[in-house]
Amino acid sequence: MMQTTAVDAVMRTLADPTRRAVFERIVKSKEITVAALTRGSGVTQGAISQHLKSLKQAGLIADRPEGRHVHYRADPKGLAPLVDWMALYAVFWRGRFANLRALLKEIDP
Amino acid sequence: MTGAAPPLPTQEIVVEEIFPHAPETIWKTLTTGELVGRWLGMKPSGFEAVKGTRFTFQTTPAHAWDGIIHCEVLEVRRNERLSYSWQGGHESNAQQYGSLLNTIVTWTLTQVEDGTRLRLVHSGFVTPRNDSAFRTMSGGWKKVIGRVGAMSGEHQ
Repeated sequence: MMQTTAVDAVMRTLADPTRRAVFERIVKSKEITVAALTRGSGVTQGAISQHLKSLKQAGLIADRPEGRHVHYRADPKGLAPLVDWMALYAVFWRGRFANLRALLKEIDP
Repeated sequence: MTGAAPPLPTQEIVVEEIFPHAPETIWKTLTTGELVGRWLGMKPSGFEAVKGTRFTFQTTPAHAWDGIIHCEVLEVRRNERLSYSWQGGHESNAQQYGSLLNTIVTWTLTQVEDGTRLRLVHSGFVTPRNDSAFRTMSGGWKKVIGRVGAMSGEHQ
């Protein structure tokens, strides 16, 4: 029905405090570059880049290259696995209604 | 005097749609195990639309939870209403997939001019207070992130 692996991946990714701080800054900005994220972060641009890579792999952020710069933004879908059980069920039932509609059409055209 | 604690606040999910089919046809899809398996994506084991019948669904396990949803038919009004309990999860999975669940699923069918209005109410979700921001994806970022820290055993 729903996967736990995605939850685990998001949890692991955000468990690192530095990475979580990077993610929070991206969430607060509409879009932000690596250079802007590095400024005032106290870590190197290389370290920030590594965190961005992990966040992207977990589906938490999306990027948009523009010329020599890459702009990063938060991807709300990435946090979906962490939304609570109830919200997951709301999504689940809406999907089941769609299945039901298709099945009814098939057995009672 | 029982001294029982006041009931925890609960919430429900409601989905309602009109289908261009007779109530009898929809009833069949809700009460035939084979058909339930097709639209629900998991086939019930031991299901019969008879009050008191106990049945199960097998879904994806999560940590201490074996993935079995335990149900019992609570109410049957042919072509009108079907209600069953829906229990599963484990207390060690807090507020995420596989968390403890003691809920009720109720289907209500109402004949309307162009078919049948089907209403699903999934009730009994115990939700912590002040948790609505977390549920709506809009304002809940910070809270979600904070909770991840707490869940991963980090102390700040």
